[in-house]
Amino acid sequence: MTPDPEPELREALLAAVPSLRAFAISLSGQVDRADDLVQDTILRALSNLHRFERGTNLNAWLFTILRNLFHSEYRKRRREVEDPDGSYAGRLKVQPEQGSRLDFEDFRTALAKLPSDQREALLLVGASGFSYEEAASICGCAVGTIKSRVNRARFRLASLLNVDDIEDLGPDSMTRAALQG
Amino acid sequence: MTVDKGNKLARAVMDNSLDDKLATDPKLDSGSQKRIGDQLRAMYDELMQQPVPDRFRELLDQLDKKNGTKEGSQ
Repeated sequence: MTPDPEPELREALLAAVPSLRAFAISLSGQVDRADDLVQDTILRALSNLHRFERGTNLNAWLFTILRNLFHSEYRKRRREVEDPDGSYAGRLKVQPEQGSRLDFEDFRTALAKLPSDQREALLLVGASGFSYEEAASICGCAVGTIKSRVNRARFRLASLLNVDDIEDLGPDSMTRAALQG
Repeated sequence: MTVDKGNKLARAVMDNSLDDKLATDPKLDSGSQKRIGDQLRAMYDELMQQPVPDRFRELLDQLDKKNGTKEGSQ
């Protein structure tokens, strides 16, 4: 047998956890479920290490596993995830206890209203730092499809958040809230 | 001052600068796109900065043990 999880790999997996969690939390809207998803991803990765081509992007491989797990194992609970009645958004509002700041609440709520394929594409390209090509590979679809989803996601978010009529949506939105209040 | 979103969106639709032609997809102007992107990354960064739950460290520790200490590291 080959020597299993070498120390560097263990460290690499551990180092990938924050970005996997951020993706899983943003995708599923639930911290607990996200952590289960990340744990399953790590276990799946370790049992499939022989399939990982050394020298290629470990993160992209892990994201692919996580994304596939999300869509297969978690499809049963899809109704919750798709959020027809705002339950995802409702759960996200619990997150300030996890250290989130209130000024992201509007954004989270809007993000929750996106179809999951658009949310996923936007998270991969706009937040996780993957290229369109990498995101397409992770999602198993064409590059043009990813571009289209990302565009639609941004467009939808902009209209949900009324981006046009505010100067600054960034962390300063607290100031904005104060001024409006 | 009311915001004339219609104009802005119309302008956005024309701003189709990506390589792929996505005729049916509306495009955002770059300012709005940047604001959305900034907000997304800010939210995401906050999640990234959360401490890694102990369960993951423990999980990998357990796996190390289970796989034996072939490498000779403790």
